Amino acid sequence: MILKRILALPLLSNRFHFTILLLIVLFVPGCADMRGYLAKSLPLPGYPVDAIERNDFVVTEGDDVIGRLATIRLERGDTLPDIARHFSLGINDIRAANPGVDIWVPDALKRILLPLTFILPDTRRNGIVINLATMRIFYFKRNGMLLSVSTYPVGVGSEDRPTPMGEMFVARKKHRPTWYVPASIAADHRKKGDPLPSKVPPGPLNPLGEYALYLSEPSYLIHGTNKPASIGLRATNGCIRLYPEDIERLFKKTPVKTPVLIVNQPYLVGRRDGIVYLEAHTPFVESGTANWKKVYGKLKHIEAQSKSPLDWKKVKAVVLEARGIPVPVSADRDGIVTAAAQPVRIRHPDRLYGQPELPAFKTDAWYVLAASLRDKPDAQRLAAIINHQGPPIPARVLSEGDRHRVLAGPFDNQPAAEEAARRLKIDLELDAVLFET
Amino acid sequence: MKKMILGLCMTTVLAIGIGGCATQKDLEAVQAREKAIAAQADQAAQDAENAKMAADEAIAKANEALARAEEAEQRANERERIAAEKEKMAEEKAKAADEMFKKSMKK
Repeated sequence: MILKRILALPLLSNRFHFTILLLIVLFVPGCADMRGYLAKSLPLPGYPVDAIERNDFVVTEGDDVIGRLATIRLERGDTLPDIARHFSLGINDIRAANPGVDIWVPDALKRILLPLTFILPDTRRNGIVINLATMRIFYFKRNGMLLSVSTYPVGVGSEDRPTPMGEMFVARKKHRPTWYVPASIAADHRKKGDPLPSKVPPGPLNPLGEYALYLSEPSYLIHGTNKPASIGLRATNGCIRLYPEDIERLFKKTPVKTPVLIVNQPYLVGRRDGIVYLEAHTPFVESGTANWKKVYGKLKHIEAQSKSPLDWKKVKAVVLEARGIPVPVSADRDGIVTAAAQPVRIRHPDRLYGQPELPAFKTDAWYVLAASLRDKPDAQRLAAIINHQGPPIPARVLSEGDRHRVLAGPFDNQPAAEEAARRLKIDLELDAVLFET
Repeated sequence: MKKMILGLCMTTVLAIGIGGCATQKDLEAVQAREKAIAAQADQAAQDAENAKMAADEAIAKANEALARAEEAEQRANERERIAAEKEKMAEEKAKAADEMFKKSMKK
């Protein structure tokens, strides 16, 4: 009605009416722009987003939970280790969050969970903190009142050679380090029939990768790797391994003398926006149940102190499932707790970072027949494992009737093919056969 | 007197004759009823025979269906067992592959 009247008047004869009309003209597209902005900036459920924060977070005062839970739909040919690396997660993270999914040959189009939310370990918040149980490193930095944290997944020491725990510090840093082979590793390799040189120079065969932080605890390092698929495994000799892209960032931001604290906390309790969260990981066999008793006491204390009840059935389920995801365990009121656990959907990127590339099949080259199998998924799994070796060995499946051949190559010459066959034998115990096309 | 005795005898014979005629009629009626009943009995027997045959057939069919159901159940159980075995084998294979992979990831 007002608009009609305004439009009915000669516009230029009345400055007031002209101003109102101008404001309406400016306001209408303004609303549209704001809607677009909100849709872009708020990761609302139902609106897939292109990117999500995975490493760098600001820690809000009084909060212990960072990040957001997300989901992504797999595409044909994806493996979970590829998805894990793209989103800076370890194999342990993605496997625990998606029980029952074949990590090497998952069903195409399956929607999987990306556990990109973490509870900070129950420690001091400065310098480097490594939680062995969650296989994750945290780098805390305070800038005035602002506390920020960068977090990356890691690979840790095996059951036989566990990573030492306790306080230490970064003694020195080295870009392109040389690996001086420790006597114990040299002995292991001799036993396998794979003798190592006394030192390995920087390059693709160096297991330290491109960057190393030497710890004050002698012989222990935080370093990169030439086997990125090992992140999230207990496969080191006590060192801490990071993805090549993650160690580069950590190396650059970590000064010498930075304190390093290594802990083992499989159960973590934290709060965000007043909601209590519990994150449970399968504890290392050797670490026993002491951790859980401590966390149970903490939960009881929180419940008594805050006078708001916890959902103990949920607590039990979280501990039993041990999916490594922070789950809200406050009793739900008005659906707030349930809403807090909703994941954001992420669009599949065009290319997954670090995904092994398969060179085109060509004639006039050398190949290695790694295996001939009757079951296609078995063949696909083996090809994926070979592709994820460090350094990678390209491998594919050639199917013919009910035979599925796993073929490594192409290699430019016979020595390269022989070296691949040797590695398949040493690392994967496969009796491979060489041939030239 | 003789006349009287003759009259009496004739009357008696007549009475017996008349009575005899009535008995024959009855007999015929009875025989007819018997025939009808026999026919009904035959029909009933035939019906019973047919019913028995139908029942036997139904039982046979039921038994056959039961046997088939049992066979199907056995086949389903077998399929389930094979599927479980396959799943177990696949799990074992995946586990073995994982172990192999984990070993290959060491320095």
